Amino acid sequence: MMDYESQLRLQACLDGELAAQEAAQFEERLANDPEAQALLGELRMTRTVLAGFEAGVKLPESPEFFWSKIRREIEREPRSVGDPRRGSLFAAWRRWLVPAGAMAAGMAAVLLIGRSEQGPETQTSLTDSGAFTYHDFAARTTLVWLSYPAEEELGGGEEADTLD
Amino acid sequence: MRLQAISVCRLAWLSVAVGGLALIVSPGGAAEANLRLEALLIWGTNDTHSSDPAHKPVTPEVRKKLQELPFKWTSYFVINRKVLEVPPRGAVKVSMSDKCDIEVKNLGNTTVEASLFGRRKHVLQRTQPLPKGDTLLLGGNAPNATSWFVVLMQTEAPVTSEPQPGK
Repeated sequence: MMDYESQLRLQACLDGELAAQEAAQFEERLANDPEAQALLGELRMTRTVLAGFEAGVKLPESPEFFWSKIRREIEREPRSVGDPRRGSLFAAWRRWLVPAGAMAAGMAAVLLIGRSEQGPETQTSLTDSGAFTYHDFAARTTLVWLSYPAEEELGGGEEADTLD
Repeated sequence: MRLQAISVCRLAWLSVAVGGLALIVSPGGAAEANLRLEALLIWGTNDTHSSDPAHKPVTPEVRKKLQELPFKWTSYFVINRKVLEVPPRGAVKVSMSDKCDIEVKNLGNTTVEASLFGRRKHVLQRTQPLPKGDTLLLGGNAPNATSWFVVLMQTEAPVTSEPQPGK
């Protein structure tokens, strides 16, 4: 069985790509190798068949004239991009403006949110477990009612039983 | 394509403008300004007069606030009044009576941390926003079916006393 390298050399020989000495050696080997002969025959037949089916499209004009038409059409196209210097300047601005704009928008959002947020409400009642909180949203008033000072803690003295 | 590029450009400028406006309008001020607060120690009673002539009735504004709450008392007298100015991130402690002290910390953005001390004992600590117009009331029962209140609210009034610096 022919190896891949030999198959490639056979193809090269068929295409006339081998050096004269190498081609002679290969043809000598080919004479004694029926498998290689069969492959060569198959390749020749394939090439013949493909050559017979080539479309054979021919330009109605010379290649030079054809390419000159393409060039003229390109030159006739309006320059939609405009001045390349202007375009590059705009691109540079745009490269700068887009991140700057995004950063400004982010800052604005943070500031606006920061202004609207006024912090959480927390409450720690350190000595008074009976404290409760009442919100009057209409009056915008928060009341924390404490049971402190506890009477037992203060010993019942009337003067002592108040913070005022 | 060109229109899209112009829109991106306009959007970017708009964002810059909004950001700038927010910086101008937003007060590094409001977040980091001194808070001037009025602190009142109030006695609530059903008596029409206080035995102490130094006790003055509360202002109509404070009276209205108190009357809007579900209390039974009809009269409210100011025992002590302090106006304190709390610097940003700072704290000020004032004595409202022999037994009552309050400490207020300015946490920024008009948020305060108010601490109530009874007989030098830390009784309560409360953190909440206290913008202009809002009132924080701490209260409790007092002898003879009366009550005490500590009122905290923002004010424009001049500072009345030199408070002790807070912790």
